[in-house]
Amino acid sequence: MAYVATRGGERAIEQSQRLFREEMGTITAARVAEIRRAMPYLIDRVMGEASLYDEDLAALALAQTGGELYEAVLLLRSWRTTQPRLAVAEPVTQDGLFTHRRISAAFKDIPGGQVLGPTLDYAHRILATEVLSDQDYRPEPVEPAARPSPAQQPSVAAWQAENDLLTAAEPDKTAGNDIPDITREPLLFPSKRAHTLQSLARAETGGVLALGYAAQRGYGQAHPTVNELRLAEGEVMVKHPRGTTFSAGRVKISQAEVVNKKGTQLELGFAATLGWNEVKVIAAATLDLNSEGAPKGSATEEEFFLYHTEGVESSGFCIHFKLPHYVTFQSSLDAMRDAKKKKAAKIPEPAE
Amino acid sequence: MPAPQTLADHPHDAMLSILARADGERLKSFAETLIPLLGDIDVLENRTGLVMLPMRDTAQGTNFHLGEVLVSEARIVANGQEAYGMRRGRDLEAAMAMALVDLAVASGIALGGCTDFLDQEAAAQDAADTDCLRRVEATRVEMETF
Repeated sequence: MAYVATRGGERAIEQSQRLFREEMGTITAARVAEIRRAMPYLIDRVMGEASLYDEDLAALALAQTGGELYEAVLLLRSWRTTQPRLAVAEPVTQDGLFTHRRISAAFKDIPGGQVLGPTLDYAHRILATEVLSDQDYRPEPVEPAARPSPAQQPSVAAWQAENDLLTAAEPDKTAGNDIPDITREPLLFPSKRAHTLQSLARAETGGVLALGYAAQRGYGQAHPTVNELRLAEGEVMVKHPRGTTFSAGRVKISQAEVVNKKGTQLELGFAATLGWNEVKVIAAATLDLNSEGAPKGSATEEEFFLYHTEGVESSGFCIHFKLPHYVTFQSSLDAMRDAKKKKAAKIPEPAE
Repeated sequence: MPAPQTLADHPHDAMLSILARADGERLKSFAETLIPLLGDIDVLENRTGLVMLPMRDTAQGTNFHLGEVLVSEARIVANGQEAYGMRRGRDLEAAMAMALVDLAVASGIALGGCTDFLDQEAAAQDAADTDCLRRVEATRVEMETF
């Protein structure tokens, strides 16, 4: 591929950026706070794809880019590189999650029961157009139960293992900086499982959905059933210099297990991400479930889906085609003209 | 260096977790009252940074990185004690306030006031969790098979 250096666009570039930013107007702390307050699921999606958990920064990135999600995620990924890594927290485990939503499509009577949590799954999708005529939309308040739901819920997979439906997973002893990390190591194939799950956690939602949906529609080998879906909060457990382990706060986490029958046992696919984004984790868990033995170049092969769902790389590659390709394109035109000339030379002129 | 003290009602791990989740403005106001009692303080670190957050996969048991969490950190020394604060978010003053309370307790200063503050914050956090979980419980599905 060849590029050509050009000049003369400096003023145009400056003005084009002004034109983009002028449309958004003045960005204030109040606007950022309102975006954070009013759009928690968008904030979650951006934090998950940026792989950086901070609601204020995510809201600021959205304000600064006018909601252009690829730009917002890129801003956050870039900002992240300016920060030192202070620690690696203890691994979050499923049974320690402060659970807001927990459902299973595989078993209705799971230990601990099913709580729907915040969802529009069963809602009528009706646009509240009256708001545009100055009639405020006020949601009905929740009627809290007399007693609280248990904060921690048992694992469905552990219960299945006890009932010989699947083989219980051996807990990984890897901890701290020994956990493979794609922000510091290249993604190589066959991928380490830790790399696969980390890549899916930070993958672009639309990309994961497209490929996961392809697998669900029949382009994969295994049909998923949601074994357990959780929207929860996890504690960020860090160490005091005196050695005391404590929670530096909670972060929102989504986690999905999908299940399929394999011989006499069940097999699980798994995915999780920062923030609440259940479409992404169900689709990603479907890809995980289908990846073993997937044909090369298929949507469910790990190299295919991991490379193509990395949002910063894929959107960056896509938009690079807008940049001047004058030499390559001119070369193609030259080749076309040459081919035409040669073709014309071979055809004899009709006799006069 | 004298052995660091702890509170009878709030072990060190519980105290730090309560402070990390405490209301930032209330924490800063309380820590202000401790400063005159603590003498000369050396600030070793007061910065933002990232904490890598791993999770354990339930299918194969693998630990993997979910992503990074922005935190604020403060590390201070006084009275022969090292104290520490780390909280989620980018509020450097709140992290410093947490470290000041940690320092006061380790140094055996204003233990009564620290206990009262922690009691109040713990109660507020428990109440918020209970309120949240009562609202979650309202969405429990009572399965009925036809």
